[in-house]
Amino acid sequence: MTPIAPWYLRPLAAVTAILFAVLIGGMLIIASGANPLAAYWQIVVGSLSPASLSDTLNWATPLVGMTLAAAIPLRGGMVNLGGDGQMVIGGLVGALVPIYLPGLPGPLAALLSLIAAALAGGLYAALAAWGQTRHNIPMLISSLLMSYPAVGITSYIVRFPLRDTATGLPQSEMIPEAARLLTLSGALNLGVLIMAAIGVLAVYIDRTTVAGYELRMRGSNLRFAAYGGVRLPRQAILTMFTSGAIAGTVGAIVVLGSQFRFIDGALLSPAYTWSGLMAALLANGEPLGAIAAGLFFAALQTGGFAMQRETSVPRVLTMVLQSVVILFLAMRHGIARRAT
Amino acid sequence: MLTVPALEAAGIVKRYGATLANDDVDLTVASGEIHAVMGENGAGKSTLMSILYGLQQPDAGRLLLQGQEVRLRSPLDAIAKGMGMVHQSFKLFNGLTVWENIVFGAEPRRGLFIDSATARQAIAALGEHHGLSVDPDARVGTLSVGVRQRVEILKALYREARVLILDEPTAVLTPQESAGLFLMMRRLTADGRSILFVTHKLQEVMEISDRVTVLRDGRVAARLRTSETTPQDIVRAMTGRTIALTAAPSQAQRGRPLLEATELTVAGPGNRPALDRVSLTVHAGEIVGIAGVAGNGQSELVEALTGLRPLSGGTVHVDGSAVTGADVAGHRAAGLAYIPEDRGNVGSALAASAAENLAMGFHNRPPLAQHGRINRAAMTERARGLIERFDILIAGPEAPVGSLSGGNLQKVVVARELSHEAPVLIAEQPTRGVDVGATEYIHAQLLAERDKGHGVLLVSAELSEILSLSDRVLVMYEGRIIAEVPRAKANPDSIGLLMAGRSVAAA
Repeated sequence: MTPIAPWYLRPLAAVTAILFAVLIGGMLIIASGANPLAAYWQIVVGSLSPASLSDTLNWATPLVGMTLAAAIPLRGGMVNLGGDGQMVIGGLVGALVPIYLPGLPGPLAALLSLIAAALAGGLYAALAAWGQTRHNIPMLISSLLMSYPAVGITSYIVRFPLRDTATGLPQSEMIPEAARLLTLSGALNLGVLIMAAIGVLAVYIDRTTVAGYELRMRGSNLRFAAYGGVRLPRQAILTMFTSGAIAGTVGAIVVLGSQFRFIDGALLSPAYTWSGLMAALLANGEPLGAIAAGLFFAALQTGGFAMQRETSVPRVLTMVLQSVVILFLAMRHGIARRAT
Repeated sequence: MLTVPALEAAGIVKRYGATLANDDVDLTVASGEIHAVMGENGAGKSTLMSILYGLQQPDAGRLLLQGQEVRLRSPLDAIAKGMGMVHQSFKLFNGLTVWENIVFGAEPRRGLFIDSATARQAIAALGEHHGLSVDPDARVGTLSVGVRQRVEILKALYREARVLILDEPTAVLTPQESAGLFLMMRRLTADGRSILFVTHKLQEVMEISDRVTVLRDGRVAARLRTSETTPQDIVRAMTGRTIALTAAPSQAQRGRPLLEATELTVAGPGNRPALDRVSLTVHAGEIVGIAGVAGNGQSELVEALTGLRPLSGGTVHVDGSAVTGADVAGHRAAGLAYIPEDRGNVGSALAASAAENLAMGFHNRPPLAQHGRINRAAMTERARGLIERFDILIAGPEAPVGSLSGGNLQKVVVARELSHEAPVLIAEQPTRGVDVGATEYIHAQLLAERDKGHGVLLVSAELSEILSLSDRVLVMYEGRIIAEVPRAKANPDSIGLLMAGRSVAAA
C-alpha cells in the first residue's frame, strides 16, 4: 500500500515483460510455420469473448486461489511450495465429507465440506511451518517434500479403500447432487464467488489489519520485525495455515463444483499451484497484483485451448509465454540490483 | 627488511551506495612484518580485506604486490599472486580429510587422478618446515577449532601465499591455542612472509604486531609503530572524538532498580561463552555506560537483555517483572525500549514508509489499532508529529526511510523508541556514523530520559560518549564485566587500560 518505488513501476515492468514474451512467442510460432497474429487472436477471443468469459472465470477460480495461497506467505518472505499437497488433501476431504455424511441437508454438507477442506489443508501447511520454527527444517524444502506423501496417500485412498467400485477408475464415488456447489451459468458455479470473497478478504487484511502490517514488515525486513516484537514463530504458523487453508478450499471447490468426485490426478494436471506461484512472484506477493496476474494467466491458458482448437499451435505455447514473462521480470530485477 | 614492501595499497576507495566504506585508504605491509589492522565494526576493515583478497573491486586506488602493480579480479587471482586469507568462519569441507582440504583446487595429478602420495608428502614437508603438525589423514570434522585453523593456514601456505590475512583468528581460540597461533605467526614472518592481522583485541596487537593501522569511518585514523605506542593511543584513534562534552550530572535521585540482570550466560563460538555470568543493574534516573572494545560481548549482552538471543543461564527483570526466557514482545511489554546498533538492518525496514517504521511496536494497540484494524490516519498523524518533534528531514510520512541519511534514519529509530516512554532504554551505539548535530541532539535526548527518571543502558565503543553521559561505567572484556567505575573516577586512561583487559593496579 505504501509506495516503495513509484507505484506504476511494477505494473509497468510486468507489461514490458508481457510484451517481450509476446514477441518471443510470436517468433516461435513463425518458426513453427503458423501465423502468430491468428494464434494470438484466438487466445484473445477464446478467453475474453462473452461466450468464453465463463470458461475463463471457471479456470481462474482455482488458479487465483493457488495464487493467493502462494502470495500470502510470499508477502512475509516465506515460500509455500506445497500447494499441490494441500490442495489434494482439501479436495479429498471435501469429497469425503458429503459422500460419507449422508442425511445432512445439501447446503450444510457443502459448507461443512469446505470448512473441513480448509482446516485439513491449513493444518497440513502449518505442519511445515512448525517444523521450521521448532526444528529449523527449511520450509522451502519441507513444504514441497510434504506434497509427495499427500498426493500419494490421497491417490491410494481412491484407488483402494474408497474407490468407486461402479466405474473401477481411481476416483471416489459421486458427491450427492444436493451437496454440489450451485451452478451460476454455464460452467460457472458458486466457487467463483467464494474465491472472489477470499480475494477481497486477502486484500483487506493485507491493507488494513495489524496482521497484514506485521506480515508486510516481516517480508520487508525479518530482523526488524523480530526486533520490533512481532512473534515470528506464531506468525509463520498462522500464515502457512491460511495459505494451506486456501489451497484446501481450492481443492474442495473444484471437487464440489466441477468434478463432483475426487479423481486421482485431476486436481494436479492443470498445474494450478505452479501457475499460481508464478503469478504471486510476478506481484511480489502483493495480493491485488497477484490476483490480477492470476487472472491474466487464467485468460492466457483458457485462450490457449481455443488457439489449439482453431489453429495448429499447441496450447503449451501459453506456458512458454508465462515462463518468459517471469524470466524477463527476474532479469529486470537482477539488472536493477546490480546497478545500485 | 627489504626496501620493497610485500603489499602496498594506495588511495583505496570503495563506495556502497551513499556510504564510503573505504575513503582513500593507504596500507603498506613490509616483508616479514606482522601488521595489525584495527577499527570498530563498520570502520572499513572487512571491505579493505575483501579488496586485498580480490572479493571486491576498489572504485579507485592501486594495489602493489612485491612492487608490482596488480589487479585482483577474484580470490583465485589473488591466491595466484601470493595472497592468502584465513576467514573467521573457516572454509573447509568437514567430511574430507586434512590433505584433501589442503590440496583442493590445486591437486597434484597423475593423469586423471589425484596423486595422493605426492600431496601427503608435500603437506608433511610443509607442516614440518613451519612447525604446523597435523595428521594429513584426519577428517577435518573431527578436529578442534585450533587445528582446523592450522589446516586453513597450511592451505594458504600450500598455495605459496606470501601475504597472509588472518581475520580475527583468535576470536574462536582458547588462550593456549592463541599462544600457539602467535608462535606460528612468528615463524611464518621469520620465513619472510607477511601477515595482516585483523583483530579487536588490543592486548594481542600489543603482543604480536610490528605496526598497527587504525581505521575509522573508512579512513586511516592512525599508523602506529607498536613498540612506540600504548593501548590508550590505539583506543583513542579507534574511537575518535576526544572532545568530552561533559554533561550535567544526574538531577534525579537514583531510584529503584529498573533493569536487573543476574549471572547472564550466553553460549559463544568454540568453547568459550560469549557472555560469562554478567550481572548488572540500571536504576531509575541513571545512565549506565558499557565500555569495551567492540566484540567483547556487548552485542550478546544487549541481545540477551532484549530477548533476541536465548540465554544459557541467568535471569532478567524489567521494571520488576521477570522476563527471563520471554520473547522480544514480552520484554517490550514489560517496559523496555531499544535503539539497536544496526539501524538499517535491524532498526528499520528500509523499503517501508516512515509512518510504518514509526508505528512498529505501537501498531497493535490504540490509538493506532483497534480490534485488529490499523487506523491509517492515526498512523500518519503520529508519524507527522514525531517527524516534526525530532526534526527528521524527510519528504513526508509516506516516504520510504531507505532514502534517508544515516543521521535522519537514526532519528527515526530514536524517535520511535523514545516515544514508547518505556522505563528502560537500551541505547546501543546510538550515534555511530551520525553527524555532530544529530549526535548532540541524541545525547540531549538520552540525558532527558535519565532526568525523567527512566533508566538508560548506554553501550558505546566511543569512550568519549560513555564518559560524558554515564553516571557509572561498566567495562566489558572477553564476555565479562571486569570493572565498575563511578563517574568521578572514570577517565580515558583508566577505562582505556581496562578495555585492554588489564586491571588498573597492574598497569
